[in-house]
Amino acid sequence: MALIAIIDDDPDIIEASTLVLKSKGYDIISAGNPDEAYEMVKDQNPNLIILDVMMDEPDDGFFLAQKFRREGIKTPILMYTSVSKTIGFEYGSGEMVPVDDFVEKPISPDQLVEKVEALLKKELKGSE
Amino acid sequence: MQHENVKILIVDDEKGLREGSKRLLESEGYCVDTAENGTKGIELGTSHDYDLAVIDLKMPDIEGTDVLREIKNKRPNTICFIATAYASYDTAVESTRLGAFSYIPKPFTPEELFNHLDQGYRQRLLLLEAEKLKEEREATLLEVAHEKSRLKTIIESLSSGVLLINSEGEVVYYNHSTLQKLDIDNLEIGEYILDKLPGQIVDIINQFLKSDNIIQKSITTQVEIRPNTELVIDATCSPVPHPDGSFAGVAVVLKNITGFKQVEHVKNQFVSMVAHELKTPIAAVLGFIKLILDEKIHVPYEQQRDFLGRSHTRLQGLLDLVNDLLDISRMELKTKQREIQELDIKEVLISTLQFLEFELKKKDISVDTTIGDNLPKLNADQNEIIRVFTNILSNAIKYNKDSGSIKINCSLKGNFLVTNITDTGVGLKPEEKERLFQEFFRAKNKHTRGISGTGLGLTIVKRIVESYHGKIEVESEFEKGTTFTLYIPINK
Repeated sequence: MALIAIIDDDPDIIEASTLVLKSKGYDIISAGNPDEAYEMVKDQNPNLIILDVMMDEPDDGFFLAQKFRREGIKTPILMYTSVSKTIGFEYGSGEMVPVDDFVEKPISPDQLVEKVEALLKKELKGSE
Repeated sequence: MQHENVKILIVDDEKGLREGSKRLLESEGYCVDTAENGTKGIELGTSHDYDLAVIDLKMPDIEGTDVLREIKNKRPNTICFIATAYASYDTAVESTRLGAFSYIPKPFTPEELFNHLDQGYRQRLLLLEAEKLKEEREATLLEVAHEKSRLKTIIESLSSGVLLINSEGEVVYYNHSTLQKLDIDNLEIGEYILDKLPGQIVDIINQFLKSDNIIQKSITTQVEIRPNTELVIDATCSPVPHPDGSFAGVAVVLKNITGFKQVEHVKNQFVSMVAHELKTPIAAVLGFIKLILDEKIHVPYEQQRDFLGRSHTRLQGLLDLVNDLLDISRMELKTKQREIQELDIKEVLISTLQFLEFELKKKDISVDTTIGDNLPKLNADQNEIIRVFTNILSNAIKYNKDSGSIKINCSLKGNFLVTNITDTGVGLKPEEKERLFQEFFRAKNKHTRGISGTGLGLTIVKRIVESYHGKIEVESEFEKGTTFTLYIPINK
């Protein structure tokens, strides 16, 4: 079964997401800050990364995503966003933001599972 | 014709004729002065504004033509006649050339004289009327010129830029501020300007220029002249009609709104930070609730209890955050009522520590308080000062190690009551120390995980202290502890 890395500075979100994905049979690893997350992804090479956009700093998640891509880590990234709609800018997947899809917090379990499955399917096809 | 008050000068060396004419004219109502020679004639004729003057051509001292020249030179509106017995075509022409109205051959009959004088006086009245009109016109022109220069001064001194463009897209007028607002070095009157203006403004001007009917409204746009909100202007374009209502051109008024934009930017940033801080706990709680409600996942009862407990903590934190935000907002709006009273710092500290006793005991933290004798009283709002110490001391407890200690030292230094509060807690990294007082900043490292807070406590402390013209300093060593030093001014 696929290995999913959850990166968020909110332990409650990590726990809730972990529970949802574990119930679907995925293996989960998690990290609470960008440095820890970077090491974890390099070491364990997960099939999918779930990344919160704002950690210590607004955009920390973006910088981490860019860092992964710069270093050739092509693992699909699903980004958790929380205030993009509130403050009026919408991120779309594209070159500037090197992530594959977005989930707006609060996360509904069904939506999370759906997006994770879709990205993993794409990932499998891509690696075939 | 009325001759009352018509002033006439007779210059003649021949006494009989002089006196005779005077009597004759006075009987007709003229006011008559006489001069018996040219010198006296010039003297009288230039020093008075005579309506009419009759000058004899041949006089022993000065020629009549010289007298005529002098008088006309000084008094161009005095109507002069040359009288002579030696009439010749040449003298007539010469006199007229010098400004004589006409030429009276001697001897003359009273009727001939009256006839000449009447004609001359009519001319005199016309000249005076023309003179008056000319003066009036000059006065009006002067006033217009003054008005124009006053208007120009006003427009030049406006802080807004004013730019007038004709229907060909050429500069008709601009004030100095225009250059600064558009960030350009020079404009020439008459030059084509549309390729020098920002596109947004050009688009609006073109709407006016290309419209078949004159557009009656003003159109406003905001333009970032220099990037990164360094210079932002508000440009209002209005049509300028000719007096007949047809389209003459466009007036553009340029206002600097950089300040507003910067404040707006800071406000938006703050709003987005607040939104994020508010949404984070909501997202966590909703996540837990959705899990508990999700029938497919089946969260065990014990874990449900755990989630509910954690949701409770998050919601309590959210409430604290909202209260802190309201406090900050009240401080900003200055709507907070202050009750300034004399406070004893010792009493304030003791009551604050009592309030925190439960937390102190829970982590087994000892407090060592040294308060100098005879410290002066503070003049401040009790709630605000208690808030300051509560926020600092509760941080000193929260971020302390178990069984750690807190040292409080209070003394007088100059005009300030100085309080040091030192803890044996997790301390701060240098980069964390710098940002400590920023809204929502919370040091995040392995030691601070699990410690809740709004990120606004020290922001509030700093604002309160600064509102009393005091200051707060922080010294810290990572993993060793932190010392806050508060300086609160006192009235000696």
